[in-house]
Parts: sequence; structure tokens; C-alpha cells
Amino acid sequence: MTDSQGEDSRARLAERRGVDPEVYQPAEDSGLLAEAAVDSLSAPEVVLEVGTGSGWVAEQVHAATGARVVGSDLNPHACRQARDRGVEAVRADLLGPFADGAFDAVLFNPPYLPTDPDNEWDDWMEHALSGGEDGRRLIGPFLQDVGRVLAPGGEVYLLVSSLTGYDIVVDLAERAGFSVDEVRQESYPFEVLSILRLRPT
Amino acid sequence: MKESLMEIIRCPIDKHELELAVEDREDGEIMAGMLSCPECGETYPIEDGIPNLLPPDMRDDAAA
Repeated sequence: MTDSQGEDSRARLAERRGVDPEVYQPAEDSGLLAEAAVDSLSAPEVVLEVGTGSGWVAEQVHAATGARVVGSDLNPHACRQARDRGVEAVRADLLGPFADGAFDAVLFNPPYLPTDPDNEWDDWMEHALSGGEDGRRLIGPFLQDVGRVLAPGGEVYLLVSSLTGYDIVVDLAERAGFSVDEVRQESYPFEVLSILRLRPT
Repeated sequence: MKESLMEIIRCPIDKHELELAVEDREDGEIMAGMLSCPECGETYPIEDGIPNLLPPDMRDDAAA
């Protein structure tokens, strides 16, 4: 998602719909998240990707690290695509059905485009892209619960766009009890994408 | 799903361990079955190898 808000993202959405109307497909943000996780993780055993979509990031992390990678998504079409890629797919709402201390790492590329509530599209692709009015619809609930599912020494890799409010997300993560490092940053025409590594303090 | 996923998944309502009833197994994977929570009594289906662990009020296939 490297486009701007409004008409640009709609045009891009329409273009994506020609390819797959229901499941977000790998883009620049996916590549950045996979690369950051693969480079930073040392011998993870069990990894969760929340909102795995097509399953591409989960597949990359499994291939590069040999870790067991579970992919969860709200969208049943995404769960099927991820499973077809060989990812262990679970249909879930964020971290709801996962055990305490189960994961060495949790990855999340959240839906983050700020969206006018009068302008929402009410379908699966909207769920994959829209972060609600402030772009942080799912980031807050995710940060409140993710510490619970981390094993000792576990880490979170969270993609943040400048469109979502970088400083606010860092602040939310710190308030939720994490130390925050930026392990990747890339500039695109309409946004800056960062990968934050969060460790419980 | 692999049976070893049972160590990782819990009831989304009360985080209790789940019980597994297998209906169909293929190549060591559970393709169809039912997960149930002995604590709250809620059940969660496994279809086409994918456990649906959404809370009951979110389970509709509709996007909204």
C-alpha cells in the first residue's frame, strides 16, 4: 500500500480487484515485513502472522528460517489462500484464540489506510485495507493483547505507515509495555513504511 | 490443520484448552471436525482443514 488516500487508493483498489477481489496480495509492505523478520529473528521456533492475507509473508518466513509459521485471518478466502501456500491457517479475530506464551515472534501488517466512515466499502478488501477513521482501528487492540501470546524472549514485528501516525503508534506500543526499535524504513511517494520491533520491557 | 496445533489454539472466549473431535483426516492433517470448549461449551468447526476460531457473534461469512 504505497498510494495516498482518497481517489488514489480507490483507483489502486480497483486495479487490485481485477486480480483478486477478496484477498490482499503481496505488495511493498509485505516484502518489507518479511525481510525485517527474516533478518532479525534468530532461530525462532514458532511464529504467528496476524492478518496473513494471501499467506505470502508467512511462507517467506517459514522458508527462510524453518520456523513453524501459523497464519491467522478474519477473512475465510484469505485463510484458504494461505493454506494453499502451505501456511497453517486459522480463522481468527486478532490474537483471540491463541495460547499464552505460544510464539517466539508475532508479525502484523495491519489494515492502516485512514478511511472516512461515510466512504467505506463494506467488503473483504475494505477489511484488508481500512484502518478506520484514524488508521489505527486494529493496532490498539492488537498491542493490548500481543504480550500475552509471546514466549519469554519473544518479539513483535509491526508494520507502520506514516499515514497511520508513526509517533502515535510508537507511543501506544510503549504504553502497552514494549520497548520499540525501528528495524526497517523505506520511503515511497506517498508514505514512509517502517517495521517496528517490540520487546516486552 | 495439524493435530499439534492444539497446543497453540485456545477458546477465544475464555482461553481454555479445546477438545478435538475428528471427522476426516487426510495425510496426517485434520480436514474436518469440531473443536469444543469444555469450560463454556462453545463449539468451533474445522472445515477444509481450517479451524474457524472466531467468536460465535463474528462467525457469519458476510464481510460486514
